[in-house]
Amino acid sequence: MGEYRTQMKIIGDILSTTRDDLQDEDGATVTYLIRKANISHSRISRLLKTLVSQGLLEQADSQGSNRYKISQSGREFLQAYNSFTKFADNFGLNI
Amino acid sequence: MEFLLENILNFVGFLVGLAIGLMSYIGFRNTGSPTLFRLTIAFVSISLGFFVIWSGYMVEDFLIKSGSIERWIQTVGIVIQTVGYFFIAFSHSIKSFFPKSNYFRSVGILPFFLVSTVQLEHIFRSISFILLVYGAIETILSYRDNKNKGAISVSLGLALLALGEFLGWYSFVFPESVLYTISMIIKIAGLIALFIPVSKVPLKKIKFDDDLDKI
Repeated sequence: MGEYRTQMKIIGDILSTTRDDLQDEDGATVTYLIRKANISHSRISRLLKTLVSQGLLEQADSQGSNRYKISQSGREFLQAYNSFTKFADNFGLNI
Repeated sequence: MEFLLENILNFVGFLVGLAIGLMSYIGFRNTGSPTLFRLTIAFVSISLGFFVIWSGYMVEDFLIKSGSIERWIQTVGIVIQTVGYFFIAFSHSIKSFFPKSNYFRSVGILPFFLVSTVQLEHIFRSISFILLVYGAIETILSYRDNKNKGAISVSLGLALLALGEFLGWYSFVFPESVLYTISMIIKIAGLIALFIPVSKVPLKKIKFDDDLDKI
């Protein structure tokens, strides 16, 4: 049985992928993110829209498709997320 | 001696609870995580509970000087702490604490009857004990998944607080024994064990960002 992931964990996975695991400099495509974050197209579309509106991801049109890169705010959020994941781990909890 | 230990215990409890509560709150502000929000409520409550009792002792020591703290102040502090322990236990989803056998289920209910004395303080001490034991078990079980050594320390801290709570309650049976003093020393050790791993979490460069609240 697969591990249950919270919404926060999925967001962390998406941001980590756009920071550390990009296909090329233009950013990651939706298809690539779906594969890496392992979630459905409809769910990732909603999340990407939210992350872009919150300024955590930057969206750009490249070669006829939307591509996503992490923003400075996104990097700061990811740093906080990683720190507080360790913090919550100490209590046996997932954030 | 007991008076001094009570003061140390309640002051350390206030500081440790406040420190962890503030860290949880910063985490909540930065990530919007509901888990960190629950931890904030838990540790701010625990801190407030210790503070109420500590204030009671201070007022008694410097103003009233009757030789013993007002009973209702102690009870209010313990009730507030129990709310905090409830939120620690509540943060874990229930997955391990309910035994499958009917015999063990019936034994599991026994502590409720054993501690059903007339005094409110005893009842809340016993509830705190159960919540702390539950929190300790869930935390140590999480070590199997995340292999985070900090979880062992937190679990030990919660277990020591539970043991201290139990001995504190049990000392009512033997009022002249050293049980109450031992219970306070154990609780202080528990609070320190709780704080050690949390103090090692790197929180540099993390700042508040209001734009992230909605995520």
